[in-house]
Amino acid sequence: MREDGRASGHELSRRAVFAGAAAGALALAAEPAAAQRCAGPPPPHQKGPLVWLDLDKEELDDAYDQSVYAFNQSNIAERRRANSELVLKLLGKPERVAYGPTEIEKLDIYRTRRANAPVAIFIHGGSWQNGHASDNTYLAEPYVKAGAHYVMPDFINVREAGGDLFPMVEQVRRAVAWVYRNAASFGGDPNALYLAGHSSGGHLGGCIVTTDWAAQGLPLDILKGAVLGSGMYDLKAVRLSKRSQYVKFTDAMEQELSAQRHLDRLHTPLILTHGTLETPEFQRQTRDFHAAVKAAGKPVELRVGQGYNHFETQETLANPYGLMGRAAFEQMKLASA
Amino acid sequence: MALTDSAPAAGQKAAQAQPKKKGPAVWLDMDQAELDAAYDQSKYAPNQALVQARRVVLSQRARAALGEPLRFAYGSSEIEALDVYRAQQTNAPISVFIHGGAWRNGRAADFAYLAEIFVRAGAHSVILDFTNIDAAQGNLMIMARQVRSAVAWVYKNAARFGGDAQRLYVCGHSSGSHLASTVVSADWQKLGLPCDLVKGALLCSGMYDLQPVRLSARSNYVKFTDEIEEALSALRHLDRIACPLIVAYGSCETPEFQRQARDFAAALEAAGKPHELIVGEAYNHFEMLETLANPYGLLGRAVLAQMRLPDRA
Repeated sequence: MREDGRASGHELSRRAVFAGAAAGALALAAEPAAAQRCAGPPPPHQKGPLVWLDLDKEELDDAYDQSVYAFNQSNIAERRRANSELVLKLLGKPERVAYGPTEIEKLDIYRTRRANAPVAIFIHGGSWQNGHASDNTYLAEPYVKAGAHYVMPDFINVREAGGDLFPMVEQVRRAVAWVYRNAASFGGDPNALYLAGHSSGGHLGGCIVTTDWAAQGLPLDILKGAVLGSGMYDLKAVRLSKRSQYVKFTDAMEQELSAQRHLDRLHTPLILTHGTLETPEFQRQTRDFHAAVKAAGKPVELRVGQGYNHFETQETLANPYGLMGRAAFEQMKLASA
Repeated sequence: MALTDSAPAAGQKAAQAQPKKKGPAVWLDMDQAELDAAYDQSKYAPNQALVQARRVVLSQRARAALGEPLRFAYGSSEIEALDVYRAQQTNAPISVFIHGGAWRNGRAADFAYLAEIFVRAGAHSVILDFTNIDAAQGNLMIMARQVRSAVAWVYKNAARFGGDAQRLYVCGHSSGSHLASTVVSADWQKLGLPCDLVKGALLCSGMYDLQPVRLSARSNYVKFTDEIEEALSALRHLDRIACPLIVAYGSCETPEFQRQARDFAAALEAAGKPHELIVGEAYNHFEMLETLANPYGLLGRAVLAQMRLPDRA
């Protein structure tokens, strides 16, 4: 763990938040109507049989439901939209190019001025169900200004895919391969491709960096680095949770799309991140993946954002001095003036 | 404290606020309870403690990365000192930060995370310590005087740390924005200093007219007098403002902290003073300041532009 996570005297955990929330709850009766609402303490809960580690079904379901743990989810979505609109005005409209045969298989390219520039590819999250490239325009500005192209693919969501995660992964793979083969067409350096993914986009990113690229005639190290934030790298626990209601998990899907089980195919240095206010499972997934990659002797680093929840960690990708942004800038060797 | 603490926060089901009987209006359409709440950030920003705690962690990290700052005394008491995080460039512009904390809390060291954006962009970052309202026995004038003398010290001593006194900028947040507004509306000429000593300022989430503040529960710890209210309400001294201002607030702030910024911007407009109003959509009081620590955040972007610093990282 690096400096972000090392300050043990300053670990900001859910318990610390609860102390604050409990104090806030006392004031609830007098709380002004316009105020943001912080979640109150959990209702009493009779523990059922364990279904995963020390979690019963309700706890596991909650651990795969961000809204239970991130009180400001809708606020952050709102400011992401506002900031994306603002950045769209600053950068201008992206080039939008098809990378596959279906309507959704298009990617947005925010071009930097530098020639033969490195390329960052961002895979959005949204519990595999939501999200569009255009919601995340705000992430492009730091990279474009620092001399890298920023590419954001759109791809199918799991509902439209009939609950199948494979088409999502295949589309994102196709997008990455397209960027490699066509980088020169927009002034990008195909030998300097980097990936970032967050949440379910972190899961997809994990699948991408453990792709059998050689089978497609592409270099094993097609991606020179990846920052994966707040993702899922083994699907077993996810399959046991209520996410099974909209993802039609199969044994093949669980096996093939659990990056942690294919570390032999990993040829990309990783920086893994999570916040201390994420759900217990989203913290564990990253910790366990980090430990597994490290045990496999592959380059990996774990950075923990003290006091950040699931959605707040993504915002740090838009800050070269933030948790995820600093990691991406370091990997891509982007200049701090 | 375990990182794996697994108790969920029980969704978004906040208790319904009890309908309460509205008392007589004491300020605009607000009764006493509403006005008190409008000057109490904790009523509107449920993650106050959290955002402050992560600021402290980030500041420790920043000091480790940037190195310990130079520390200079600008006055006679122990607290009258300032931290300077130096840019590599000499004769570089200077950003002075005035922290908030309801005039009661905050130390320069805990705001070091704001320094990196300036230092990397080629400006020195100066972060002030100054007395708090409790130590000053409720006298806001003492705080305003200290902050003013700190800025004057930076102007006169910039060369000692390689700074360009002709490119001196100020940022303030919350009660620090109130203090910053008293700096840009100070009668500098009376002190024998140029009236445009400050070349630009960011005033984020501050208070620019103390009348409603005086009517609120903040009077319990600030000993307002007519003189303090008059002298330290920047809104009443617009004629002395001689630099462009960025006025900012978040749309999730208390109604009064939003109104204070809007009214101040409107008054600047009416007085023909150059300014820019930034509204952070869906940011609360504390989250607004975090955007200053990012060259591509709402405040960071605006301040770098004001200082004519490159907006690349």
